[in-house]
Amino acid sequence: MRTRRMLAQALRGLNRNRLRSFFMATGIAVGITVLTVVLSAGMGARERIMDRVRVFGFENMMVWAGGPTDQTRIGGGAGGGGGGEGSEITATLKLEDAEAILGEVRGVREVAPFSRAGQTEVRWRDRTFTSPTFGVTPEWADVWDWYVERGTFISHEDNQLLARTAAIGPTVVRELFGAEDPMGQTILVGGVPFEVTAIMEAKGTSAGGGDMDNRVFVPLSTYMRRVANVDYLSGIRVQVQNVRYMEPAAADIAALLRERHNLAPGMPDDFRIRTPTEVTAMVEEMQGTFNLFLIVVATIALLVGGVVVANIMLISVSERRGEIGLRKAVGARSRHIRAQFLAESVAVTFLGGIGGILLGLIGNVILERFTATPALLTWHVLAAGIVFASVVGLAAGLHPARKAAAMPPVDALRS
Amino acid sequence: MEQPLIQTRELSRVYQKDGTVGVAALTGVSVVIRRGEFVALVGASGSGKSTLMNLLGCLDRPTSGSVVLDGQEVSRLDEDELAEVRSRKVGFVFQSFNLLPRTSALENVELPLLYTDRPDLAGPARAALEVVGFPADRFDHHPGELSGGQQQRVAIARALVNDPEILFADEPTGNLDSTASDEIMALFTELNRQGRTVVVVTHDAEVARHAHRVLTMQDGRIVSDTAAVAAEPGPPAEEVVS
Repeated sequence: MRTRRMLAQALRGLNRNRLRSFFMATGIAVGITVLTVVLSAGMGARERIMDRVRVFGFENMMVWAGGPTDQTRIGGGAGGGGGGEGSEITATLKLEDAEAILGEVRGVREVAPFSRAGQTEVRWRDRTFTSPTFGVTPEWADVWDWYVERGTFISHEDNQLLARTAAIGPTVVRELFGAEDPMGQTILVGGVPFEVTAIMEAKGTSAGGGDMDNRVFVPLSTYMRRVANVDYLSGIRVQVQNVRYMEPAAADIAALLRERHNLAPGMPDDFRIRTPTEVTAMVEEMQGTFNLFLIVVATIALLVGGVVVANIMLISVSERRGEIGLRKAVGARSRHIRAQFLAESVAVTFLGGIGGILLGLIGNVILERFTATPALLTWHVLAAGIVFASVVGLAAGLHPARKAAAMPPVDALRS
Repeated sequence: MEQPLIQTRELSRVYQKDGTVGVAALTGVSVVIRRGEFVALVGASGSGKSTLMNLLGCLDRPTSGSVVLDGQEVSRLDEDELAEVRSRKVGFVFQSFNLLPRTSALENVELPLLYTDRPDLAGPARAALEVVGFPADRFDHHPGELSGGQQQRVAIARALVNDPEILFADEPTGNLDSTASDEIMALFTELNRQGRTVVVVTHDAEVARHAHRVLTMQDGRIVSDTAAVAAEPGPPAEEVVS
């Protein structure tokens, strides 16, 4: 029998037993709804974590001042907006350490030392804005892949001359200057006057949810001596030449810093090194746990749906003995009967799968409204829903179809 | 002599009940049915007439003995081979019509064509419905919207749609009132007059009167055959039966 005719027969069979078909489709739809919601939520969460990893950059590591006490944030620093906060100020990480790392550690391409304060008052005329302020060197731009929109970023000369130049983010521009042109204007950063020489390109919201455009960047030397009055760094961002150098470079840096800081064996580090390897490992572990959970939930949901379909199909087969007998009497072979019931089972679960995806979309909207979990729906989720539903239909229909095909026509007609 | 349409030899059918004790529904039946005959198979219920029809119609296989249908030995064919034979050579009409519910008359008649290579379904189905005198304005009606007589006409059209060698009808008037019964039997008579071989299974003497030959069954055997009296098909059966 032709495939199209067979499908038409299957759909007519389902149409003749609408209530039963509805129950079967619902059984599968529930399973696919769960699958869709869980899969979307999982992919959304994964995407959010990967965003953080991306901001961190795969060829970059962070060297933070302060021992390994409470630092668990992923991709902190300028991206996260407060990675080092909360730990005690450690005054041992120096600019010379950064120079030593660049000069002595193999595979290091660039270092960007910085010093910062989470909240500094920035003033222009009578307006004030509280901003995270960073003292940086020109390397900052390259290692963060973060450039100016207008003007010139902090230069080496600025650092040598303790220049009072500032590069400000778009949020700072909006809050302080409104419609006026900030270029060349003088702002007070922590009470110290700086000339605005650059406006940073918009970076938007960080993975952690913070505004990345509310920053003020000034020369590192000026910041340390004039604003913060410190002689130590908050951290150093280190870029390696190749991802391959990441782990050995991290080990070398640790050894170098211990030596330079005169730490005897047994003494804890007074710095922390965060590599993306570590971050991705953490992400993958979380992802693995989540995937397992997802597989378990989806399997249970689909198993339940499959059992419902298999049961109703079995009932359907025994209730339709007369139809089966008739079809055989007028010439249907066993394979025709088998194909018909299999097609019915797959068709009903296929339709149930589509229904489940639609319900899942609604579920996603509800989930997003009541939780902070963003749902990410890709074609993978849609395809998975349809494929799983159809496979369950095929598996659930196998036994009933075989049973129908094996019915002797005389017995089937007698009922 | 012309090859008979059906010839059986020592046909027996034993049903296994509870795995051990066999119930013989049919014992050593040898019968010949020629082309163009109109045969009534009568007997009390349990006499074996339905069992014989199932074997002649290739719905079932005998425990022993042979059935030759249109020159082909069919008693040892497997299920699918039998289905193939039914598809090409046999049409069935049942007491309870056995139409698919919520399915139009036309689509019900198309059903046997689904299991053939025929590209066109509607054409032969329409033709078959016209042959049985089914009103054309009801082709799209579902069985639930039709009278018993009309439903049985649809069922007969379905049995005819593959142009079978032989038509089997199992108590075709059992669910019909007398008027509809007369119309249906008149239809069978007309189909037989056009050359179609017809076998009707019934316990109703009124129905059997339409046949030219009556085989009476009892306890799994043919106990009387009017053809033994009248060697050629032709003389009206009622002369012999009544």
